[in-house]
Amino acid sequence: MATITKQARKKIWAFLALGTFVGLLFLPLFLSLPAGAGDTPAPAASTDAKPVEKSRDVWYKTEGPVIGAPAPKTTDSAKDYPRYNFESRVILWVALQQHLYYGSFVLAVPIFCMIVEYLGVITKDKALSRKYDQLAYDFVKISLTAYSITALLGGIVIFTFLTLYPTFFGYLSSIFRPVMATYALLFIAESGTLYIYYYAWERMREGFLKWIHVAMSVILNVIGTVLMMLANSWIAFMQSPAGVDADGRYLGNVWHVIHTTLWNPINVHRLLGNMAFGGGVVAAYAAYRFLTAKSDEERAHYDWMGYVAMFIGICFLIPLPFAGYWLMREVYAYRQQMGITLMGGLLAWLFIIQAVMIGALFLTANYYLWQGMDRMPGAERFQKYIKYMVFVLIMCFIVWLTPHTMVMTPAELKAMGGQQHPVLGNYGVMSAKNGAINTIITTTVLSFIIYQRANKIPTVKWAPYGNAFLFGLFTMAYVNIIWLAIYGYYIPANVRVGLSVPQVASTLSCLFIGVILNSIMLKGAKDVGPIVWGKISVRGQYALIMLATSFTWMMGLMGYIRSSVRLFWHVNEIMRDNSPWAFTHTIGFGANMISFNVLFFWLTILFVFWLGALGVRKAPATAPVGQKVPAPAGSR
Amino acid sequence: MAEKAGQVTTGMKIAIAVISLILATGYFTFLDWGAMKIQGLDYFYLFRK
Repeated sequence: MATITKQARKKIWAFLALGTFVGLLFLPLFLSLPAGAGDTPAPAASTDAKPVEKSRDVWYKTEGPVIGAPAPKTTDSAKDYPRYNFESRVILWVALQQHLYYGSFVLAVPIFCMIVEYLGVITKDKALSRKYDQLAYDFVKISLTAYSITALLGGIVIFTFLTLYPTFFGYLSSIFRPVMATYALLFIAESGTLYIYYYAWERMREGFLKWIHVAMSVILNVIGTVLMMLANSWIAFMQSPAGVDADGRYLGNVWHVIHTTLWNPINVHRLLGNMAFGGGVVAAYAAYRFLTAKSDEERAHYDWMGYVAMFIGICFLIPLPFAGYWLMREVYAYRQQMGITLMGGLLAWLFIIQAVMIGALFLTANYYLWQGMDRMPGAERFQKYIKYMVFVLIMCFIVWLTPHTMVMTPAELKAMGGQQHPVLGNYGVMSAKNGAINTIITTTVLSFIIYQRANKIPTVKWAPYGNAFLFGLFTMAYVNIIWLAIYGYYIPANVRVGLSVPQVASTLSCLFIGVILNSIMLKGAKDVGPIVWGKISVRGQYALIMLATSFTWMMGLMGYIRSSVRLFWHVNEIMRDNSPWAFTHTIGFGANMISFNVLFFWLTILFVFWLGALGVRKAPATAPVGQKVPAPAGSR
Repeated sequence: MAEKAGQVTTGMKIAIAVISLILATGYFTFLDWGAMKIQGLDYFYLFRK
């Protein structure tokens, strides 16, 4: 009998493990398949069998057999809304928000980990490969403790629902029974995969086993993303129900219940948002470690780590406003009144706060890049342009946050001559705001291109032509974005709304063409000097913490807005909320609650960071000051 | 011409910049028209009115 070598045995075990993961991944699908023909009971022969009642889907307008009970009509009583002499909604708000923060974090970090580990595998330079691998390991280590807290918070959410909103939760789980069962199974698969992925890191560090390990990270992330999408289906159903009739009776098609009209926009928006948030939190962790570092080596390592996390986060932040725009467009298409409540009515001021936060995010990201240029010899050539970019960003920021209408006293209204200011009111419309945000994003792309070439001089023969092309591209993109913004004032609303698409396309042209062309031009470029990692002002690190805090606050805000737009409905137009808390809070109360949630999250995540720091190896893969360390997208 | 290998004169730089601006104008006009067209909208609405 042939002897099986140790290496071959490892391979067999790796294949078996991978097969098990894939099997677990598909298990819920098999379980949710309809029973075979042999299991189906034969129809009753008697003629007095009741005919199956059919009803019409509220969204898809298709007919289906009535399977579920109607949505319960609740009353303000202890039976439907048990309570603890405290606002139940606020308790649930805190539990859900904390679960969401941690859930987002543990969804995003393994995706980073997958990207960085893959970079490590394909990098030919062994030293760089080890550094990437160490970074990926650091990422997953942080998420491991957070994962346990996420599960714990998930349990708290379920208990809170069961004890404070039993009737509503009963109805929702009767509709989503197969989805919830699938969710639970996937959660087990996710936990198993994550722990094996982490603990097998050392054993699967080399050769073919490393590829299996990378494949495991792909599976881990597929499961995580599906989990997020399933959870999204519940909130999408509450906002834009489908798969039920007007009485809320389930019509037997689980796909209709999942695939409501807002499901996909929410999926895309949340995935991008989670990635940006995860990047922010990891960058803040790196900033925290940078600020508390005792040696230059540590500072260099955590400066680099913060940069990589911020870079990945910003990559997902840039398309985020477009995904948000798509979501809002679908909300308007679903129920115009809902859109108006969000952006032009009861919740409009929260959108102004959101605009301020988005503007602050982009300003901070640009500020970090400019601060980061400190570590690059030769960057002083570009310093003179920064003041112009600051001017453009600030002007656009002001337009971006200008409200359409103001809440005023009658005297103020009279003094201003109407609800809109005669001059500033012109900047409170979407035409101006779309122009402003696209200009902000284009300027951020420009900042990044300048950052990329801060310590480099292109040496390709066609460099003058490339530079001229970049000049033409950015100049005309700015002109085009502003032209479309002005053009929007002169055409009817139904045509104007379409102008956002070419505006976005202009911005994306700069992003893709500009960054790719710049990267090609910088191949083999002359180095003015290497990036001196660790040589960055502490202000740059505080900018990273500011980015992460802004993400956290904005997530809390947007979650509150999305949830509040249902007003007095548990499930929009299907199941009414008859609890004493079915009212919209004041903006001040909402803002305080969001701030409380943000503070709570950051206090607990600091604990997670502290735990992560306890297990840090004493000799991490670090780069001494001045030594070249890897950086994405040609920024080396 | 006083142009050395690998160097571009100021006049040449201006010419390249102007050409790139013209090319970019064409590109963005096409982009605007196309992006409106796929939505079933008329980019030149105001001018046709």
